[in-house]
Amino acid sequence: MAAFVKFWGTRGSIPTPASWTRVYGGNTPCVEVRFEDTIFVCDAGSGIRELGKDLLTRQPPPKDLHLLLTHAHWDHIQGFPFFAPLYLPGMKIRVYGKQAQDDSPYRLLSGQMSSSYFPVSFRDLGDSVVADYLPEGKKDINGVLVSSFALNHPGGCIGYSFSKEGRKIVYMTDNELEIQPGDTFPDLDDAGPLRNVPEDLVAMARDADLLIADAQYDEKTYEARLKWGHSCCFSATDLAIQAKVKNLALFHHDPEDTDRGIDEKVMACRRRATRHGAKLAICAAREGVEMKF
Amino acid sequence: MTEIDATITGNAHILRRQRDTRRHSLEQFEGDGGARVITLEGDEMVIGRAPDAHVRLTSKRASRQHAFLRPHGTDCMIFDNDSHNGVFLNGVKVYSAVLRDGDVIQVADSIFVYSGD
Repeated sequence: MAAFVKFWGTRGSIPTPASWTRVYGGNTPCVEVRFEDTIFVCDAGSGIRELGKDLLTRQPPPKDLHLLLTHAHWDHIQGFPFFAPLYLPGMKIRVYGKQAQDDSPYRLLSGQMSSSYFPVSFRDLGDSVVADYLPEGKKDINGVLVSSFALNHPGGCIGYSFSKEGRKIVYMTDNELEIQPGDTFPDLDDAGPLRNVPEDLVAMARDADLLIADAQYDEKTYEARLKWGHSCCFSATDLAIQAKVKNLALFHHDPEDTDRGIDEKVMACRRRATRHGAKLAICAAREGVEMKF
Repeated sequence: MTEIDATITGNAHILRRQRDTRRHSLEQFEGDGGARVITLEGDEMVIGRAPDAHVRLTSKRASRQHAFLRPHGTDCMIFDNDSHNGVFLNGVKVYSAVLRDGDVIQVADSIFVYSGD
């Protein structure tokens, strides 16, 4: 049994189509996590549109999807009305609240399709979208244990962990790993020790095959963006090292980041991991790339 | 006035000329097979050790049908065919990927640079 992860949208904040975002992509967050026939869709940013088109080409087309939203900021929900499977008869898209009776994600998506914002009414979708829950923050879905956990982001945000038969994928975006007393920051020469990171997040990411982590900024940019709710890539790397994850995908790329700039962040993080003796493979999440674990 | 007089504003006959296809190629610069440029064409090309592979490798680390290259719209995608040693894109093990100009692909001991114009 393998786990598959495919990136459909990796950009933060706003869709950024440009010649200089062509490699890593300009669509906002959407990640497909698949265990056999069970498909989880993490966030509904503009990348979900291409995912929807792709799902319709699969044989047989999946009829049951599990949508997990991290939070309601635009870049994580704006693609939902353009998700083609919504309009397919017989489709079932389960939208999960973080605890029993929490149907706020469902209400959020339906509100986004009110006539003020979108021409097609949510009511016209029939029963294709249904509210579901993660009782006490976790649920076994077709043998995959899905666990949710709180992240540090203005207005709140949720991360997710997916585990089955020794495979573990963790989705941890829109999360600020704040600089703590004693941390070296900015660590422009990459000479400081590993930073202090929240123990609960280390525990959630522990031994993951893949950690998809918010790493929107480099050291210099983060200095000017403190408390904006996103992390710098060195802090994300330090978290991954301390959690002993096997692979780290830097995620939620800044709209101002060029492909070359993202490459440079990856190289800097790889050097940092090497300096700390970590067996950690680091890449930047890239639209159109699928990984198998 | 001729049909291609581009100085006439709104000339109905003048539109941008878009090609329906793009040229895709792999330039090998390391590994068995030596330095070579392979033009990618058709619906599918096989990279591997099989005698009939389009991009033939002789390394024992290569599977017979190690990876496939297929068109994806005007782009080109690479697919790992569940090979034993995997496909690496810019040093990252991938299962499939849409290729971008300048990508470095490693299959077994061979390294290629993808060009897509």
